[in-house]
Amino acid sequence: MMINRRSLLTTALTLGAMKAFPGLSYAQARPLVFATFTGSWEEAHKAVLVPAFRKANADASIVLDPMLSVDQIAKVNAARANPPIDVMLHDPGPALVAIGQDLVEPYPVEKSTYYKDLITEAQEPMGPAPFFQVVGLTYNPDTVKTAPTSWADLWKPEFKGRVGITNLNSTLGTGWLVEVARMHGGSEANVDPGFKALEALKPNLAAVAANPGALATLFQQGQIDISPGNFNAIQILKARGVPVEFVAPKEGAIAFKTTIHVVKNSPNRDLAFKLIEAALSPEVQTTLMNSPYLIVPTNSKVPMGGEIARVLAKDTAELKKKFVFQDWKKINEQRSAWIERFNREIKI
Amino acid sequence: MAAASAPRDVTSYGIGLAAPLALFFLAFFVAPLVQLFILSLHNDSAGTLWGFGQYIHFLSDPFSLSVLGSTLLLGAEVTALCLVLGFPIAWLYHRVGSRAQTLIILIVLLPLLTSVVVRTFAWIVILGRQGIVNSTLLSIGAIDTPIRLLYTQFGVVVALAQVQMPLMTLPLITALGRIDMNLEDASCSLGAGSWRTFWKVVLPLSLPGVIAGCTLTYAAAITAFITQSLVGGGQMLFMPMYLYQQASTLQNWPFASAISIIFLLAVLAVVTVFGMLGQLSRGYGGA
Repeated sequence: MMINRRSLLTTALTLGAMKAFPGLSYAQARPLVFATFTGSWEEAHKAVLVPAFRKANADASIVLDPMLSVDQIAKVNAARANPPIDVMLHDPGPALVAIGQDLVEPYPVEKSTYYKDLITEAQEPMGPAPFFQVVGLTYNPDTVKTAPTSWADLWKPEFKGRVGITNLNSTLGTGWLVEVARMHGGSEANVDPGFKALEALKPNLAAVAANPGALATLFQQGQIDISPGNFNAIQILKARGVPVEFVAPKEGAIAFKTTIHVVKNSPNRDLAFKLIEAALSPEVQTTLMNSPYLIVPTNSKVPMGGEIARVLAKDTAELKKKFVFQDWKKINEQRSAWIERFNREIKI
Repeated sequence: MAAASAPRDVTSYGIGLAAPLALFFLAFFVAPLVQLFILSLHNDSAGTLWGFGQYIHFLSDPFSLSVLGSTLLLGAEVTALCLVLGFPIAWLYHRVGSRAQTLIILIVLLPLLTSVVVRTFAWIVILGRQGIVNSTLLSIGAIDTPIRLLYTQFGVVVALAQVQMPLMTLPLITALGRIDMNLEDASCSLGAGSWRTFWKVVLPLSLPGVIAGCTLTYAAAITAFITQSLVGGGQMLFMPMYLYQQASTLQNWPFASAISIIFLLAVLAVVTVFGMLGQLSRGYGGA
């Protein structure tokens, strides 16, 4: 074979192009793409779920593409016939949007080994919940000497100008408002009592954060001393030395199902199913439950341990008793009206 | 000059050189913008029914209009503060030695070298309940309990002014540098005081820089999503957050598109006003 300048250049260019646009080389079979969430979720999945999946599936190639739920929906929507994502992860609100827009496939329940072991609330035929996110009360133990026990404690006069909440953009903010409404006789269909209670909370409010992440900063800066908060986010703060404690209120901690879905028309349907199976397996869920991840498991075969057993629930039975699950189908129906009302009424 | 090879007209350039950039803009800026506009002309959130419903909704809703108004006002406040604080720095720059000039440029540019997020977090630390401002005021006994600075309009204006300051100062430094120092001396020797010299000579001559700085600062301040939401919090709603809420949380893309188009037009209108002022000031600048 003759090597001249021209053929060398062509080869180099081709190789370069393949490097720059990996899509070219995987025109037929691309790796499994799992759109997880950014931050601690990505870390946990990279460290635990991906190795477990690869071990069980002969080192099948997998790519983590962390992004927000809404971005996942937008990306799949833009290329329904050949979606760039195989497995999606969603909070309850966006999950219903994705299902409503016909973007996900029903989970092949009859083929699944672990689906039947999940606690009933996690058994979602359109995509099971491998983890729960738990919302309870967060407080600064340095300044709040007696631990709060109820959502109602946020209204105590001693917390004047020290309470933080988030607006309704987040799942946390919306779910919390529904819980407050429920305390005052409302429900998912009627949050009117919740808004009335918010009005009464105004003297205590030090901050309405734009997102739950901002609450963490506010604790660090001493801007707020008590707020509704996400269990996992608090554990991360605590590990960094910020004085925060999490407590489940006596009305019950709010549990959000994080559901995992096979994308419709995915070219990697089988691998997608296997990844979800790995996420439901007791092995992966046990590892993720332990420090430093502290993710609440949904498989009833996983014995609760560590911080989760201490703060949240010792076993599945207690978990069911202490957790409050909400009807997000109902919530989604009116959420935009609530957000609009919150925009108008909550000015501090 | 020899007539055999007539020299090319050096004041004109082949338009072909601009083609790559023009194509790039066409494909990645104009086309998406058109798509955005088309999306905004739908009455339902799924984007199937055509109509002007989203625009009517926004323009007939006092709340939406108040969000637009408060955003434009925020821009005006930030711009005014930047101008008041930035002008003396730019003025000083031309009256100090070269060593001090380097120092001033470094101080002006330094914020640009750190990320907006970092700068904004610094403001959270400064304005917080246990922040520098509050602890100083407490220690000198000016206040008994910490005052609320974070999550207030004041906090947002101050933080944005610092974040956007280079955009104001740099054009001002350039504009002031073009003014012949002799003009000021002439003004003084003809009997004008320092203030009169400033109002009648320096300020009019620096107007092109003032207008360029104001346009840049204004546009950057009203669209600064990160600083607005981190320092302003969730209860102060400005257009970028309103847009994000509709697009991201509520998946109501047609309304979000309509908001962006209206916002874009409002900003263009303000920038046009600045531009017209620039035209007026040209009378001075050319003098």
